[in-house]
Amino acid sequence: MRFFQPMNQQGFARTLVETRTHYLLSPGLISIDLPQNQHNLSGYWNMPFPPQYCENIENANSIKWIFPDKIQSRVLTEEFLFSIQPFYPAFVSPKISENDYNNYVESFLSQSDPKNEIFSLPLPFIDHPSLDLILETECSLFILNGFYSLFSNQNRFTETMIKLKERLPPDIGLYLPGPIPPSYYSFLVYSGIDFFDTSIAYYVSQKGLFLTESNTYPISKHPNCFCPYCSEKPPNILGHNLMVLQNKIASIRYALKENDFRRDVEKEIHNFVPFAAALKHFDGKFTKNFQKRFPLRINAPLRCIGEESLYNPAIVEYRERIKERYVPDTNSRIVLIIPCSAKKPYSFSKSHKLFGQAIRDGLKNTRMLSELIVTSPLGVVPRELESIYPARFYDIPVVGKWSEEEINISAELLANILQNYPKNTVIINHTNGKGYKEIIEYVKDYTDFEIIDTALTSSPTSSVSLSMLTNTLRELDEQISQNGSSPPIIRMLKAIADFQFGKGVGEILFKSKVKIKGRYPRNREIYIDNHHVATLTTADGFLSLSPKYAQNIIEIAKVNVEFTAERVKGSSIYAPGCEKADENILPRDEIFIIHDGKVIGTAMALVSGVDMNKMRSGMIATIKKKRKDDEN
Amino acid sequence: MKINKEFARKIYAIRQKQLKRRSKEKNLIAWVEDHRLRSGKGKALVFILPTKGCSWALSKSGGCSICGYLYDNPQNVDFESMISKFKETVKSKITSDSIYSVKLFTSGSILDKREMPDELLQKMLEILNKYDQIKEIVLESRPEYVTPKKLDFISQTISPEKIEIAIGLESANDEILRNSINKGFYWANFEKATKNVLDKGMKVKAYLIFKPPFVSEYDSILDTLNSAEKCIKLGVDTISINAVAIHRGTYLNELFEKKHYRTPWLWSLVYICKEIKMKFPEVRIICEPVSGGNERGAHNCGLCDEKLIKMLKEFTLSQNIAVLDTKVKCDCYKEWKSYLIHEKIELGDPHALLN
Repeated sequence: MRFFQPMNQQGFARTLVETRTHYLLSPGLISIDLPQNQHNLSGYWNMPFPPQYCENIENANSIKWIFPDKIQSRVLTEEFLFSIQPFYPAFVSPKISENDYNNYVESFLSQSDPKNEIFSLPLPFIDHPSLDLILETECSLFILNGFYSLFSNQNRFTETMIKLKERLPPDIGLYLPGPIPPSYYSFLVYSGIDFFDTSIAYYVSQKGLFLTESNTYPISKHPNCFCPYCSEKPPNILGHNLMVLQNKIASIRYALKENDFRRDVEKEIHNFVPFAAALKHFDGKFTKNFQKRFPLRINAPLRCIGEESLYNPAIVEYRERIKERYVPDTNSRIVLIIPCSAKKPYSFSKSHKLFGQAIRDGLKNTRMLSELIVTSPLGVVPRELESIYPARFYDIPVVGKWSEEEINISAELLANILQNYPKNTVIINHTNGKGYKEIIEYVKDYTDFEIIDTALTSSPTSSVSLSMLTNTLRELDEQISQNGSSPPIIRMLKAIADFQFGKGVGEILFKSKVKIKGRYPRNREIYIDNHHVATLTTADGFLSLSPKYAQNIIEIAKVNVEFTAERVKGSSIYAPGCEKADENILPRDEIFIIHDGKVIGTAMALVSGVDMNKMRSGMIATIKKKRKDDEN
Repeated sequence: MKINKEFARKIYAIRQKQLKRRSKEKNLIAWVEDHRLRSGKGKALVFILPTKGCSWALSKSGGCSICGYLYDNPQNVDFESMISKFKETVKSKITSDSIYSVKLFTSGSILDKREMPDELLQKMLEILNKYDQIKEIVLESRPEYVTPKKLDFISQTISPEKIEIAIGLESANDEILRNSINKGFYWANFEKATKNVLDKGMKVKAYLIFKPPFVSEYDSILDTLNSAEKCIKLGVDTISINAVAIHRGTYLNELFEKKHYRTPWLWSLVYICKEIKMKFPEVRIICEPVSGGNERGAHNCGLCDEKLIKMLKEFTLSQNIAVLDTKVKCDCYKEWKSYLIHEKIELGDPHALLN
């Protein structure tokens, strides 16, 4: 059993907790000294200082973890040993020869209890085959050795981190030792680093450093600070510096908890140019690696301020799912393209209420109309999906100017969605402005649809445009006859189910007559034949299914976890019970626990499906509903 | 134990480049300095004799990774002028108002007859033997030349109790000798040589290196303490702790220029001296860091360096441990601690990141 287990993943950023007590340890700081206070300190180096006479130069040092007294007796171990001097005798760490490395690995493996040992991994050996042997020992903490040299080379940094993170199971803690400025922490946590240490705080001499959470200054020249440490005479710079580090870790932990961490990262990369470039690499070349570990089922505001937000893994995943899983209602004959609104969900905004009125004025049967909201950075939001994350939660500073990238992304997605509509569908473009115009031009180039513009001359909410929309719809209403379409709420349920569980799921789940109890903003309870089958959660806009009902879709669902036992005991699913998890599972997703083709429960994933498959110990999901025996 | 061939080859390559730049001829250098003799404070007359240089450094094995003393030796040796200058110098520098220790350094092994022919050594010793105020004569050599035969030869000219054989052991840890220094001999060789010397009633001084390459400063403190203890238990009564200074044309210099190595902290030296003196009060400890306070020598933050170097000098002269207890306060004391722990974990220079 490994000492750590991941929770609350957001890409490679995650929190690590002690496996048995679930006590939060990372992202954390390791004090290089016996700590004065323990705030956000995960542990400390237990090294006699200065070194005392002793027989053996390779004396055992350790990291002692800091736990509250009451759980102390239950933790797997209180300390990790650093018994062997890595690479001695050796060449300077990044240059250690293979021979020396092999010797180190060999002596590491010969330790009596390697699972409580700290392994020091030098940069050149991250792909070395011997790593597998180390992993088999269940050793849980790796020191990354010589990784500073990567900071200035964004290409190598990103490639190395990806290689490393994909190679290592997710329950291994990575410790990057050294004087790392706190302004780098967020990005490094995002890259997958779990532990830092307090050493930078100790650079306090004349040539030393004065830290703030976003910057590093020389001691001779820095902004005033009025914290209690700085108010001491003479100022206690070490105390101040330590406090800054602890505060930084606190804010990272908070952002992770509130699912708002990506924004921290986007903010922080502005402090250091190579990291800004590195994030672009992560978002470009390696977006998949992050996407499959990024939760979608969250209910935190999503502020998209910078260009980076376009490639927020959650947003990229959203766009991909729309492309892959969104099936337009078969009875749609008219598609209305409208702009987004600041208020979410859109239909609660003033502008969308006006559009709604104009539609009802124009059409007798509004069900033959589909609405697509064009927006950045999401691209396109079908009306059916306006209440899910991220559509209901994003915010963006709108100045009416679209960047080329935004235009391309939205246009491409819009063209892609429209291709799923029958050829004779009428498209109405009720948008106005240069950006929208370019998007529509693109769509015209790539599709054969007839597109009617209704807001070319003035704002879409102006009475001119609105009445033009109504009139256009009225004309169409007379030409097109259509009936039998499902009501908006059913279309919404189907779209959400497809988005959440996989294409085609909605059609199966909601083909019979559905009864809905409860109204927004309360959760809506969904009944079929007087059986409760699902809940539409208002908080995040997603569905929770009853296990029996989930049984109908396991053939095509992409959230299945094969479980080894017939029955789920307790309230959690542990890694050893997981035979195979669908790699589409994202952290926090609703998942189906399946044994022998039978859904035995539904659960909330704690980690992504990819990582479930890589874990050998620890919790991977918490049970939401168990299937009762009489539900056969 | 065989040498680390890969390591030796690298050192040899660096050495070859630099060796050509040596000057053709060199004069004998000599100076007088304050010195702590066994019998009390006095003076030392130090000779640097321009021999052809250390046989080990000149060998195909490349010599020690840290040592560039060889480059001070001339390409051509003129023994005649050497001996006449030696005579002159002794005559002019030795005064009757003090006791003296005469140190005969060749940047190699004076007991190696290829470096210093026996008859010349004998002549020099004869000259020194005429002065009663010369209480100690220090002869520097690698252990392989410290044979009973050679020692007997010396005893013929000069009474053995005056003789101190200085051996650059560097470390009592064979791994360090082999893989960090490429010393070419090991603890057992030193042990044997020391026994030879002590058997003849002579004294042994051991040089210990502080912070060779590939050893963290933290571990080097441990190693120095252990090595000192081992030497003292063997009967060595003088320990000279030599903090590494970067010599040009050495393997270490290349590491240093790539920022893979920081020269040791003065705090560490003060600590080591104090620890050894506390445990072995009767042992003479010499610690005078070469180019102290410099980037290329033992140094701290720049503010407290001078004070600490002065403190070490005073301690070396007085052998009074109280000197080391003088409170020198500096903010960099905290950095020292952080640095050492870090360097141990990472075996790299944490400062490299900050620069």
